[in-house]
Amino acid sequence: MNRGNRVLLSCVYWAFVLYVFVPLLLMILMGFKDSKFIGFPIRSWTLEWYQGVFADTEVISTFGYSMAIAALSTLVSVLVGTWIAVLLEGRRFRGRTILFGLTILPALIPGIISAIAFRIYARGLGIEPGMGAIVWAHAVHNVPFVVLVVMARLSTLPKSQVEAARDLGADPLISFLRITLPYLIPSILGATVFCLLLSFDDFIRSYFLGGYEPTLPVLIFAKLRSGMSPEINAIATVALVLTAVIGIWAERFTRRQARESDA
Amino acid sequence: MVESDQRPFWGRLSGWGPYRSSMRLLSAGPRRQFLVLVTLPVLWVLTQHLGPMVQMASVSLTDAYPVAPGTETHWTFEHYLKFFTDRIFWMPFFRTLIFASVFTFVTLILTYPVAYYLARHVSPKNRMLLLLLLLIPFWVGEIVRTYAIMILLGNTGALNLLLQSIGLIERPIPFMYTSFSMGVGIVYLTALYMLLPLYSALEKLPRSLNEAGADLGAGAWTRFRRITLPLTLEGITSGCILVFLISTGFYATPVLLGGPSTTVFAQTIAGFFHVAGNEWPTGAAFATIMFLAALIVTGVFQKLMNGLRRGDVR
Repeated sequence: MNRGNRVLLSCVYWAFVLYVFVPLLLMILMGFKDSKFIGFPIRSWTLEWYQGVFADTEVISTFGYSMAIAALSTLVSVLVGTWIAVLLEGRRFRGRTILFGLTILPALIPGIISAIAFRIYARGLGIEPGMGAIVWAHAVHNVPFVVLVVMARLSTLPKSQVEAARDLGADPLISFLRITLPYLIPSILGATVFCLLLSFDDFIRSYFLGGYEPTLPVLIFAKLRSGMSPEINAIATVALVLTAVIGIWAERFTRRQARESDA
Repeated sequence: MVESDQRPFWGRLSGWGPYRSSMRLLSAGPRRQFLVLVTLPVLWVLTQHLGPMVQMASVSLTDAYPVAPGTETHWTFEHYLKFFTDRIFWMPFFRTLIFASVFTFVTLILTYPVAYYLARHVSPKNRMLLLLLLLIPFWVGEIVRTYAIMILLGNTGALNLLLQSIGLIERPIPFMYTSFSMGVGIVYLTALYMLLPLYSALEKLPRSLNEAGADLGAGAWTRFRRITLPLTLEGITSGCILVFLISTGFYATPVLLGGPSTTVFAQTIAGFFHVAGNEWPTGAAFATIMFLAALIVTGVFQKLMNGLRRGDVR
């Protein structure tokens, strides 16, 4: 009975793996089809669409634009998020629960509502749609994820180390910079990569806060609305490879870092 | 001539006059230290996290936004009343709530066995690897994954080709632009947010409970229903809430995968912001309605699940 269960469950797992991988693999395959027409079967293959993507200055500059937005917004998110995590973890004060709730709020607001609220707020502040507005919205939206990741790591920090540093005469800032911060580095790096991917992949905020220049997901969306083409598959595949490689690398890196600092 | 300081960097820093006096000013006593630490987070959270929501709610109650120079705004409730006046407003709203609930349930049914398998039947060493395998597709963005579903389900898509080649159907089934294609897309996008809470709840569950149940003669199904399921209700609750909130917020996926009969409220809301006219307050009111409805639904759901959990302990 137990054995039968196990086999059945492993079949379910692998079926689920197929479900999450097959659509992406098909999408990648279609980018090599030697025809303008999206659909199966694929009879002849070509690299022409990829050559087109790398020759298209609009697409290349969109990649750069999205990466710049991701880098800037991540910088803000990580700084603010780490600060809030340090305040919230291991301290008890009045209003802590409320502050924590408000910190997590942006992660719980459904996408469309968050985008609309940011758009209205930006207009109230006089921020024009464009890069600044997108960077700001991504930065605010990603803070909760940084806080959660850094707080989890901070909760395992041996308090005695900080106390030892203070006893030896280090002031709060120096003991933070020399004891706490190095301990947090793996989680901060993990949070950084997570924010970079969230920002790079974000559609809804970029769409509502963007100006004339599209980010990569907005460009793909706009192209899709005017019809499917293997060119879009090539663009999407380049984006997919980029995000997957960064994600896998970060996962391995943070795991190794965490193991080393635990040892 | 300046004598070079041989002390390490940190020693030099803490001995540097301006640094010492500013540290003395900022960290005199735990109270002041706390004030220094707490100021930025409180300001940030109030102006950046809460601010946009408050501004949206207040715009939804004014008669014009942005305010034209030289005119006065008036408070009004008309945008909220407008919601009830027309079918094309409230139909997408209820459709969104129903779709999101159904998709959430489907995601739960689909991912529970997967999480169960990972947490209970895989050795801890392989567990991370198999979990990581599932994480990879989820780093790929919303739009790219939506497009992948379009290719899968199109009339000349892989699924139709497969069904035709094994002789199940003669002509392609029009999957696309229906609530089915939208559901497949949304479940595809949200599955991980269900899987992770379920996995961590199942992983925490001690095996001894199940063994004790087996010793007392309970069959596999009884053990699942009386032990595993009640003790993972917390994970189920948080996964469902997360997936429900995310599903209600999708805009691009319904636009790309749905059709005219599947318009969701996100599309209705977005419509007020596409036109250059003065419809922002209506859009703000509708977004506020959506947000409140999502909060109420998840709140009631949480209450129900908590009741269920307490009932099982007794």
